[in-house]
Amino acid sequence: MAKVHEITVWARGVLQDKEGRDVINIFAKAAQMEGKYAQAFDNYEDLPDRVLVTVRKYVRLSDEEITHKYVYTNDKPEVVVICEATIVKGIDVLRGMEPGGTLIINTNRSIDDMLKLLPNANLLATIATVDADAITGVRTVDFSGSEGGVDATGIGKGIAAPIVGAIAKVTGLIKKESLAKVVSDVSGMERGFNEVKIKHLKPAAAELVGAAAGSKHSK
Amino acid sequence: MSKEDKMAKRLPGYGTIDIPEDRVVPFGAVTPAPVGTQKLFQTSNWRVVRPVKDDEKCTRCLQCYLACPDACWTYKEETDSLEWVGDFCKGCQVCIQACSVDGALVAAPELDFEGGVVRLEKPF
Amino acid sequence: MAKESMMTGCRAAAEGAKAAEVEVICSFPIRPYTAIMMELAKMVANGELNAEFIHGEGEHAQLSVILGASAAGARAYTGSSGVGVTYAMEVYSPMAGGRYPAQMAIADRTLDPPGDFGSEHTDAMSTRDQGWLLGWACSPQEAYDNTLIAYRVGEDRRVMLPQMVCQDGYFISHIPDTVTLGERSQVKEFLPPYNPINHLSLTNPVSHGPQIRPDQGAPMDAMRAQTFLEVPKVIEEATADFARIFGRKYDPFVEQYRLDDADIAFFIMGAHSNTARAAVDKLRKEGVKVGMARLRWVRPWPTHQLAEALGHVKAVGVIETSTSYGGAMRGGNLIHELRASLYDLDDRPLVTSFMSGLGGETIWPADFDYMAGVLTGMVKEKRTDRYVYWLGM
Repeated sequence: MAKVHEITVWARGVLQDKEGRDVINIFAKAAQMEGKYAQAFDNYEDLPDRVLVTVRKYVRLSDEEITHKYVYTNDKPEVVVICEATIVKGIDVLRGMEPGGTLIINTNRSIDDMLKLLPNANLLATIATVDADAITGVRTVDFSGSEGGVDATGIGKGIAAPIVGAIAKVTGLIKKESLAKVVSDVSGMERGFNEVKIKHLKPAAAELVGAAAGSKHSK
Repeated sequence: MSKEDKMAKRLPGYGTIDIPEDRVVPFGAVTPAPVGTQKLFQTSNWRVVRPVKDDEKCTRCLQCYLACPDACWTYKEETDSLEWVGDFCKGCQVCIQACSVDGALVAAPELDFEGGVVRLEKPF
Repeated sequence: MAKESMMTGCRAAAEGAKAAEVEVICSFPIRPYTAIMMELAKMVANGELNAEFIHGEGEHAQLSVILGASAAGARAYTGSSGVGVTYAMEVYSPMAGGRYPAQMAIADRTLDPPGDFGSEHTDAMSTRDQGWLLGWACSPQEAYDNTLIAYRVGEDRRVMLPQMVCQDGYFISHIPDTVTLGERSQVKEFLPPYNPINHLSLTNPVSHGPQIRPDQGAPMDAMRAQTFLEVPKVIEEATADFARIFGRKYDPFVEQYRLDDADIAFFIMGAHSNTARAAVDKLRKEGVKVGMARLRWVRPWPTHQLAEALGHVKAVGVIETSTSYGGAMRGGNLIHELRASLYDLDDRPLVTSFMSGLGGETIWPADFDYMAGVLTGMVKEKRTDRYVYWLGM
């Protein structure tokens, strides 16, 4: 079976729930337009989201049809996207990541400040920050879609657009042109693509980082 | 051996149900009630901002102490000290709204501070 | 031609109700089925669906409201999950006995204690003696299709029974998948308008649900049982008609996947059958002759169809996502009726069960490998070692 790329998006409950969902929906739609197979859904245990709790959204991309659809979580995320920087301080967002992964954070603080908050930063090959709030200044909040994934206000009007642009630039998993067809705020997406700051790190070798590799489903 | 035992030897068994120690759930799903502080749901990683007290301006009106939904302000009468408990503060800012003095309590971004958040392995 | 779009099982069920042009909807929130009612509320508010949308004060109220609506001659729709299904328990038998063909969409959820949102089938399975039609979907597409098929079967004059259309909470209800909706003309051809028998009316007054004497009890029960002898035929007709009009073919009772030459088989119901199919393909590549039988209708239970589908297999593993504490096998629900279906065969298969997916956990492909190993061992030893294996510890 072809490799399944797992992308986990972390956001804040209620206030950023729609933004998180926009990121995954844009990704999945754009991937399907490119002829890839994609799956996008919220983490079921985090719903019902309470205000400010950490919520997770998942996207999976593959060149072949994804047969294992019903996994609750992305156990081995390749790319982790943080929509609100404080999340990194309080929870192990890189849990389960194999060495060589990517972390993208929406913040105006420096990459080194962010690295100080990550005790297991040696898993990362790439870290990037994008100041999505400065780019658009808009955070859409929509309560109608938290159950069932139906978004009435359109996709990609707020910070999701620059974040998606940043993901496209950093990971190369999706083309900017496909994203432009799906996103409402195309200029925001373009700015995110151009203004993301990337730093490449040397990840530790797989044998040294023992925890993630062996377990079937790290819970 | 009784007739029933002899019968049971010929038929398939019910099997054993082995539950590993670390997976056992409390009997009847009854958990200890939190008295004082509880170890289970530490919500400090929910907050984006934290309240910062200016001790000069604070008049000890105790509105924050009364307002906090998570009882994150503790007051000791003997020492007249009003302390903030960081482990459970969700950054709801109700204390800041309730404060009767202008500027005694302000919201500061959590990322400006080192530590103070109980770091969790995974969300609950 | 109808467009394909990605939607969750909840939205698909709501689209099914909209296509069926339900007239009375009674809602009450409980996850995970809540999204169905949210979608329907949006449709009613936007004017896409012309229905009375009533908010009940509890699940018991929900069912009572639609009993009344159906009695008055309206096509009624409601739903619930988990403990909501059991809260409404009192109303199920009056609805089935009074012959009100309303529909209930159930998105499975575990029963308390404690509050767990995951999917287990016990909630709807506990109501299987009440006299309703009961079936499970394994994809959002099938949730939409079953909504229409259930109304067609339930409202047929030979049947006139309420129906429960079930789907796994989260797996089907909250994960989007491709769904092709039917055109209005197709739905109109497949599903005629509700034509009630003896509905409450000002011009032709009738009494519903009076008291009866004990000696009338036996004939009343027997007449209800007689209906269930008719139902399988109606289900076959409806499913064949559905295939003709919409182009999607379902085996009416049991989906048989690579079962013809199988030595061992998985007997499963609901969402995890998708993982089972992938597991069967993988095991076949490794040389294991395994197949899968997926149950679509629990009531009426397809006794003869299962005996026919599984009779030639040497060992069957029942994958149970529901519990029946203290039951004959000390495990789940499906095994009892499956063993009963296979009992009269000359050369009956060995049967065991695997409790898996409990608490709403995923059933992993590795679990299916383990189950196939157990079944192969049973075939070699020519005996059933135990009735039930518990996975997911």
